[in-house]
Amino acid sequence: MNSKELLENLNNAYDEYHYPADFLNQYNIMECLAERNGIDTFLVQDREEAKYIAKCYYKERLKIDIKKDILSELFYDGLPKHIGTFENDIMYVAVREYIEGQTLDEYAFLNDLSENEIKKICVKICDILGTLHHRKNPIIHRDIKPQNIIIRPDGGVALIDFDIAREYQSGSDTDTIFIGTVAYAPPEQYGFSQTDARTDIYSLGILLRFLLTGSTRENKNIKVYRPLEKIIEKCTAFDPKDRFDDVDDIKKALLKANPKSQGIKIVSITAGIILCAGLLLFGGIKIYQKITYSPFSDDAIPAYMSDEERINDAVSYMKEKYDTDLFDEIDDIATIGDLREIMISIYGLDRDYVYGINMDMPQESDEYFLPWGWDNAQTIDRDIMVYAAVKAYDPSIVADWSSLKDDDGHYPGVRVAVSFAEDTGILTGVNRPGDLTIGDVALILANTDRVFESKKQ
Amino acid sequence: MDKSKSYSTIELWAKLFQAPTVNSYLSENDSFINQITFSEYITKLCESKGEKAEKIIKRSNIDTSFGHRLFSGKRNPSRDTVLQLAFGFGMSVDETQQLLKISRHTPLHPKVKRDAVIAFFLNDHKPLEELQIALYDNKLPILGGKKHEQ
Repeated sequence: MNSKELLENLNNAYDEYHYPADFLNQYNIMECLAERNGIDTFLVQDREEAKYIAKCYYKERLKIDIKKDILSELFYDGLPKHIGTFENDIMYVAVREYIEGQTLDEYAFLNDLSENEIKKICVKICDILGTLHHRKNPIIHRDIKPQNIIIRPDGGVALIDFDIAREYQSGSDTDTIFIGTVAYAPPEQYGFSQTDARTDIYSLGILLRFLLTGSTRENKNIKVYRPLEKIIEKCTAFDPKDRFDDVDDIKKALLKANPKSQGIKIVSITAGIILCAGLLLFGGIKIYQKITYSPFSDDAIPAYMSDEERINDAVSYMKEKYDTDLFDEIDDIATIGDLREIMISIYGLDRDYVYGINMDMPQESDEYFLPWGWDNAQTIDRDIMVYAAVKAYDPSIVADWSSLKDDDGHYPGVRVAVSFAEDTGILTGVNRPGDLTIGDVALILANTDRVFESKKQ
Repeated sequence: MDKSKSYSTIELWAKLFQAPTVNSYLSENDSFINQITFSEYITKLCESKGEKAEKIIKRSNIDTSFGHRLFSGKRNPSRDTVLQLAFGFGMSVDETQQLLKISRHTPLHPKVKRDAVIAFFLNDHKPLEELQIALYDNKLPILGGKKHEQ
């Protein structure tokens, strides 16, 4: 194929109608920084090659009414500036300042931060949170973590990623929706009570611990300067009532603490290992609010595990619960045939239903288990596995979608299932997009099982 | 029945390029430790391919002295520079994703049209010049930015 044909094919295939036309006129999309839950984050540049961040919200998937960019009312050095918004029927786009610098996790790794430096950074974060929390309608960021904090080249600190920050409405008992990062999320974000400013205070405590010890979890072997340790304890108290009420109080406590030591004495390799463990936790485990999901229940998806442990854990969980040897060969590539056998023998689904094919149209239907005329020898995609798992536990989640078409005209049920899985944590530890192994299949099923078990409670 | 027809374009590309999603890309267990540096990696790559750095730099259309600073680790490459080097090395899409990862840049992503064009041209082993013309004709920023425009 010559270049011209190649490009023609590509242009035919590539449809940008979902982006507002005036947005595309003004900006070129350069890099995809994140995609999750119907929100795509891009690095874009204008015609002068100045960089910006564009958050693209798919209205259909989010089912929310976006009235304005939360940042359009905020003017503070430590926050990305609001640049502009664009909108069409499909999408709402918020363009914001691109803040140059390193994320705090990278910065903390590359520089051996002293307790004093850590203190200074946290004081600056307190200042930023103060401007958010002390508004008439306080804004709770709810995803304070090192990846969302940028250290500018001049040492300035900025808080980014305002996907999920929202204005606090006093009076409601619980939040309507929550997405966050588990390692940094306090108990009430799992559905105990409405999150308020003390949610961010909790996460700030975990962040401080992470910077001081290299781990988000308490580690008794690492000695932390006592006044700073006290701050962590008070920030992360289980009951929000026992925490600091206001970031200003934390700032005062931080300023009062005067650590003498100039550097944290952790051998760098150890720090690296702990940091790796810490980084694993930032994977973005999400909680589906409709499910009263208790982090303390045995059924919850384990939060702290390496990928390998996770698969072994999932396999033994499934084996024990369903008394089966179908998951024995965890490293083998799973096939659609394996999936069908699992569905029939473990979940007791009807053979005709599982094997049925809609010959006329490869569509999702309630009549048949899988949307396509899959051949038993084919390997399994992550998305189709998630669809099968969710459908096996609760067909109603993906039902009623077969007759609808999404923006591409294909398989909305699969997307609904994947989106449900993203929200509930079913995808925790699932790293492969295709050619799943038996171990991956067990992991998705075990995660799904746990989500539905905790839903029952 | 042709199953591929039932995939949307984006899903098709994800399959074609085996492009990792950003999320899985970031959640892989790679850490900062024991990671080979970019300059070590491209130097080793030259050795294993029996190529001279000069040739790669030339084919990547990178300024010679800047290129040598990249190979010696005195400068860190921008994402565009990494992509230019990928063309210089004649890399596949997978190899390019790996190179982007080592340089701590975001992977080529099927949702980004410019990335998709780049990936198609890498996949077809087209020379860098043809890509630049194609990007320019399609009003997409060429690799290396305006300073490279004639």
